[in-house]
Amino acid sequence: MSATWAVYRRWLRDRRLSTVSWTFGLIVIVVATAAFYPALGSSTEALASGGSEAMSSLLGLSAGIDPGSPLGYLWIGLYANILPWTLMALGVSLGSSAIAGDEGTGALEYLLSGPVTRTQVLFGRFMAAITVLVVVSVVSGLSLVVSMPFFELTDEVTTTLPDGTTQGEPGATIANVVDGTVSAFAVALGLTAIAFLIGAVSGRKSWALGGASALGIGGYVLYTLSSMTSSLEALTWLSSWRWYVDDVMLINGLDWEVLIPFGVTVVAVLLGWRAFLGRDLQSS
Amino acid sequence: MLNAIQTDGLTKRWGDLRAVDELDLAVPPGECYAFLGRNGSGKSTTARMLLDFIRPTSGTMSVLGGKASDPAIRARVGYLPGDLNLPRTMTGNDAFDYFGRFRHDAEPAERASLIERFGLDPSRPVHELSTGNRRKVGLILAFMTSPELLILDEPTSGLDPVLQEEFRDLLAERKANGATIWLTSHVMAEVARVADRVGMIDDGSLIREMTLEELRHQATTEITLGFTEPVAASAFDGVASVTAVDVDGEDLRLSIRGPVAAALTRAGELGAVRIETDQNDLDSIFIELLAGKVSS
Repeated sequence: MSATWAVYRRWLRDRRLSTVSWTFGLIVIVVATAAFYPALGSSTEALASGGSEAMSSLLGLSAGIDPGSPLGYLWIGLYANILPWTLMALGVSLGSSAIAGDEGTGALEYLLSGPVTRTQVLFGRFMAAITVLVVVSVVSGLSLVVSMPFFELTDEVTTTLPDGTTQGEPGATIANVVDGTVSAFAVALGLTAIAFLIGAVSGRKSWALGGASALGIGGYVLYTLSSMTSSLEALTWLSSWRWYVDDVMLINGLDWEVLIPFGVTVVAVLLGWRAFLGRDLQSS
Repeated sequence: MLNAIQTDGLTKRWGDLRAVDELDLAVPPGECYAFLGRNGSGKSTTARMLLDFIRPTSGTMSVLGGKASDPAIRARVGYLPGDLNLPRTMTGNDAFDYFGRFRHDAEPAERASLIERFGLDPSRPVHELSTGNRRKVGLILAFMTSPELLILDEPTSGLDPVLQEEFRDLLAERKANGATIWLTSHVMAEVARVADRVGMIDDGSLIREMTLEELRHQATTEITLGFTEPVAASAFDGVASVTAVDVDGEDLRLSIRGPVAAALTRAGELGAVRIETDQNDLDSIFIELLAGKVSS
């Protein structure tokens, strides 16, 4: 068994309990959100119609989504905010722990006193962190797929437009859930990689946590403010929220911009690898 | 034969801080070398460079004839850190399995023997163990693969006297089997029973190297002589081996380095009625050496 595989397995094993907790917590959130749909569909419609542009932006309604429809409800109730934020929090936690977490306690130093290379540790742990993120994302998507039929989310609905005409809105499908979950995962993946990069470069978990969180939250604030003032528009390219909220891949399907975080991840891991190979370990 | 550890001009600086400065070390195979110094003198920094945790600012070094960054070299090294930190979920058994897995020559029988010898319960999470028991886990991890080179940072710190004795026996056995041992300590007496040679580091610089035999020759004997009336210190002027004389009422305190016969003869001539002796312990020598009171 290679050292990379041993490092990968051990790191997953050390996070077994926390992974189960995150997964269970997200299942509860997803199923509870789905369960409220039959009761709250009309309320969300009222909220959306009476809100400001900033509020619509916060809810992810800038694309003119009908919040009374199954997909509109899932978007504003789960995919526009809760799911990506939760996955981001998990990803930043994992990314900052992978190298910098154990380095701060001295555990990484002891591992590297044996016949294990820094390269093996870095890639083994990054793969393990991504594995946890994938598992939690997939289970959240699966829990929605399983629960949707029980709460009318797969049913087509008919809505009345302001001009009195009616319009049919499709129910949510497995493909919608896959697209939405993949795009939310991609947002989290990018910040996981940023946290990992900062941790690998600095060896300091607090810097990794703070830096990646600031980027995630700052990007969200920038995107939200940009809906009120166009002067900030140029800065929103820094934020994954720009394409995530604007493109609404849960409803419109995946597009090429979902690949941006994957590209960021490749670059971040390579930069982190190079920095980690060349620097001193922080003493505990 | 290549030295097990060789450093030439090894230097580590962080900005203006000179952690290790121009360190030249040569530890031949099979030797037990004790690296002594006060807290913050550069001992652990040297150990961390030897294991490639940190890279030298300048100078060269080799470990077992190769580079410390080479995992094949580190596979032949056992390491005990000053404070063993392992993931919170890891039990002693987990640690032995996990770290043993990287070393294909890990010996289960040796591991079981060490667990029994140190009286460790390996089923408990390491972070829940007392300092002494964590130390045992670290020692077992360091010794369980019978490495060619042992790098031990403050190895007996936290061990009770019985386990310290057990550790010294273990060290002697490994040394007899040909292992090279490089250990750090700030307690001279602790290493006196196991080391062949001692290097003293202060402010990052190696200030002295000597064999244990040379070290013991540095020891002074303190003799207190009691008289019935005050005697002048000058009464011992020119007496062989006497390096200092202090007067305390009707007592004289002599510091003697070397044979005591001449001093005792002079004491008899002066009518001494009482004699008390006290040998300076090695820690006192260490302190004197670091203070520059003993010439090289």
